[in-house]
Amino acid sequence: MDPTRLYRFLRERLTGPRRDWTIAALALVLALLPARFLEAWTNDLSRIVSVPVVPIMHGGMALRDWIRPPREAFDPRAPEVIELEMSAERYRTLFEQSRLKTESLEREVGELKGIRGRIADPRVQLATASVVGVDPTRSGGLVRVNVGSRHGVHRDAPVIARGDVFAGVVAQEPGEFVSMVRPAARCSLAVRLYPADGATPDRAPAAYAGTVLKPADGGIWLGDLFASDIDVRVGDIARLADERLGDVSRGLRVGIVRRILPSEENPLVRRVEVEPIATLVGEPTVVVAILPPEGRP
Amino acid sequence: MRWSVFILATLVALAFDASLGTILRIGESQPRLVLCVVVFALLSAPRVHAMRIAFLAGLLTDLLAPVIRPDGTQLVVIGPWTLGFALGALAVVPLRSLLYHRNPISSAFATGVFAVLSAVVFVSVWVLRMLVLGDETPSWWPGTNAGEVVRQAKSALASGALAVPAIWVLERTRGVWGFSTAKRVIPAVSREMP
Repeated sequence: MDPTRLYRFLRERLTGPRRDWTIAALALVLALLPARFLEAWTNDLSRIVSVPVVPIMHGGMALRDWIRPPREAFDPRAPEVIELEMSAERYRTLFEQSRLKTESLEREVGELKGIRGRIADPRVQLATASVVGVDPTRSGGLVRVNVGSRHGVHRDAPVIARGDVFAGVVAQEPGEFVSMVRPAARCSLAVRLYPADGATPDRAPAAYAGTVLKPADGGIWLGDLFASDIDVRVGDIARLADERLGDVSRGLRVGIVRRILPSEENPLVRRVEVEPIATLVGEPTVVVAILPPEGRP
Repeated sequence: MRWSVFILATLVALAFDASLGTILRIGESQPRLVLCVVVFALLSAPRVHAMRIAFLAGLLTDLLAPVIRPDGTQLVVIGPWTLGFALGALAVVPLRSLLYHRNPISSAFATGVFAVLSAVVFVSVWVLRMLVLGDETPSWWPGTNAGEVVRQAKSALASGALAVPAIWVLERTRGVWGFSTAKRVIPAVSREMP
């Protein structure tokens, strides 16, 4: 068949929609041809068409890698990467340090507000102190805090933890900047035992069981209850009622009743075992109440 | 309409899709600039050229998208995208009278419709090819047909989104394309003109 005549025939007969439908039918036939009829020529045709496209693709890829570098380009051992990681670590540490400091200050402010709210005497000063040393030779030994006479601390000044927990007293004449504190667990304390769910407002403090807690082995106190008609339960809270420690300490929590036992010496007496609520060793910061000279015990 | 400009734009768009366009990929769906170019041409060129525009762009897309067969060889199948673009054009061309085709938003809608329909035909042709030939594997092998439909639908949505800026840019190049700007003459107005 003469190609020229075929071309002329197709050009004359295939016009408008007829041409479009013919192309569509041809495309459908090509789309359904088995692979063995296609791979002989379509792959070559694809290579020819891709010739002008490949340089543009190459440029596009280079631009893409410039915009979004591939992960392989990241060298974790590069000096700038190491420097950046060290800076990040440094600032992370500083941030964490600031966060801890903020938490500590907020806790101190909360404690001071709590203590100040309990103290009626405005002349009482409060000094925040950190526990800087413990006695390594014995459990429950003297504890060193970083406030001293320069801060106004005096002998027998009460030391308060967690806002309302009696933690101890300054043991002897304080140093200039450091004081030794006797933990509460090593003190004999006059207390009253209040129910764990709180005291009844219209009931006088004297109506609650009172006892003198004496230090015992194991970091606890033991106290004798002589009044057998007063109700005392495990879990009751022991609060200070000791005249020797002044008004500031009155009502501070000391411990929790863990056991109530009969006394071996006197069958009419009950013996209570009280566990301290806080130990000085476990408290990072405490508050020392500095009493005015005329109010000191 | 200048066909050389259209062919060049289509090739550049195909190259963009195969290279720089991958940075626009979100998950498995990647927008395709070539669809935006074709829809732009379909909405702007004379209607008599519409099908030829679609066939030509579909043919170039088929030729630049070889299939990897299970035995590792490649195969270029002419037809799936060619027919798909043709169906897309059949849907988009009637929209010309409904859409303000110089508005990128309406063009984006047209691109989404075009992409969905062309993807439907693309998947259908491959499914038909599997049924007729038996031993053939589709281009999305080893994925499933349903997975491919979902992927193509996502890609169509992404292409619609890409069409907003792409067709806005293409509108700036309208003069290069040589589209016919002939207007109908209204007799009453023409009589008033000096």
